[in-house]
Amino acid sequence: MSEKIDKSEKQKNAEADVESFRQGLGPFVVAAETTRMAMVFTDAKAPGNPIIFVNDAFLELTGYDREEVLGQSFNFLMARGADAESLEYIAAAFAGSATGGTEICYHRKDGSVFWSAILISPVRDGNGEIVQHFASLVDLTDYKHKQAQSRMLIDELNHRVKNTLATVQSIVWQAFRNTSDPPVIRDSIESRLFALSRSHDLLTLERWEGAGLRDVIVAALEPFGVENGRTEHFVIEGENIRVSATVALALGIAFHELATNAVKYGAFSNKAGSVSITWSLEPSPDGDRLNLRWQESNGPPVTMPTRKGFGSRIIERGLAHELGGTAQLEYPASGVICTINFPAPHGARNG
Amino acid sequence: MLILIMIEDMLGDLGCQAIKTAATVDEAIALIEAQVFDVAMLDMNLNGSKTFAVADALAKHGVPFVFSTGYSGGDMRTGYDDRPVLKKPFREVELAGILAHLLSC
Repeated sequence: MSEKIDKSEKQKNAEADVESFRQGLGPFVVAAETTRMAMVFTDAKAPGNPIIFVNDAFLELTGYDREEVLGQSFNFLMARGADAESLEYIAAAFAGSATGGTEICYHRKDGSVFWSAILISPVRDGNGEIVQHFASLVDLTDYKHKQAQSRMLIDELNHRVKNTLATVQSIVWQAFRNTSDPPVIRDSIESRLFALSRSHDLLTLERWEGAGLRDVIVAALEPFGVENGRTEHFVIEGENIRVSATVALALGIAFHELATNAVKYGAFSNKAGSVSITWSLEPSPDGDRLNLRWQESNGPPVTMPTRKGFGSRIIERGLAHELGGTAQLEYPASGVICTINFPAPHGARNG
Repeated sequence: MLILIMIEDMLGDLGCQAIKTAATVDEAIALIEAQVFDVAMLDMNLNGSKTFAVADALAKHGVPFVFSTGYSGGDMRTGYDDRPVLKKPFREVELAGILAHLLSC
């Protein structure tokens, strides 16, 4: 009860002080009242540095009502929601031993957290005596949020770069494993790097959140169709279902290998050959599956390869592993067939 | 997936005879429960999830293992900070050194 009376007296005094500012300083007081920067004045002559003025921005930032803070000790108010380090700065600033500002983390009245930059400076009278302290706070919550986000993006980017470098390493590794002929090595490295680069271009368009299946296939086969004037030798049938970035990258590499193989031995090694690529969704007890089929026809008669090359290992081991599904290559005389079956991405049915 | 093929080749070069791979945490744990492994290599991320559950399963079965990662930051969970880590990309000699160390323990 006595506290309440005390408070309202403090409040009256505070309001009288503000009124005297307003008369003396006019537009400056209006500016302080309406600026977006949170501002507080405290009385240096009274014990505990009671608050004598706060602007609307301060109330908005902290979630308090004006009558809850006027007359209160600033340190006491801050102690409700700040960590030990911030309080140390505040105490030092009031004692005159702090220089510059600091960043503090503070809890609003409702418990939510905000970050702000705080600066506390003394206000002196004509005799150089400290009569008030002025504290200003700039809300840094958005900035801190963006800072954390950009740190995460940099980590993620670094991760992708390292994985990409390891992928390049494996491309070089394989090229040297399979032949000692420099032009063949160079061509094998280059064509796979460009395939990887085209997949990256496609994923960059959609901020690496995924890509359309048809777009992935068209990008992978682009050098085999457009450059060789074989566009009419492709049949690509299926909806442009969205797939994840991982699936898009894996399929991009796989289709590049299939097409490379077709150029060497299969349907792209003669004039008449063609390839049909079709896919559809199949319901299964564990959710939809995507069934993809690559079928070559009218190429030279196919013979079963004597040893498993890098291309077929990429598809049967690598692709199956990466997609969490199956991938099979068959070699009937009429043309190579590759069937790929994996769990359909969520929401594939709706396009 | 090209990296997987390369690691398989590296392991084959080093005389490793049987290699099993798992693409998800569940698959990996099922494999560890089902058979005995001499040594394991564990990517710290499988399909976007952290693989410490797989590390726990390997430790429980006494399988020596090395972490592999594309991240450079040190967010290793306590209890595993003394395990070897191969940072991608890595060379065959680095892999050979770590495997020799793990198998001699």
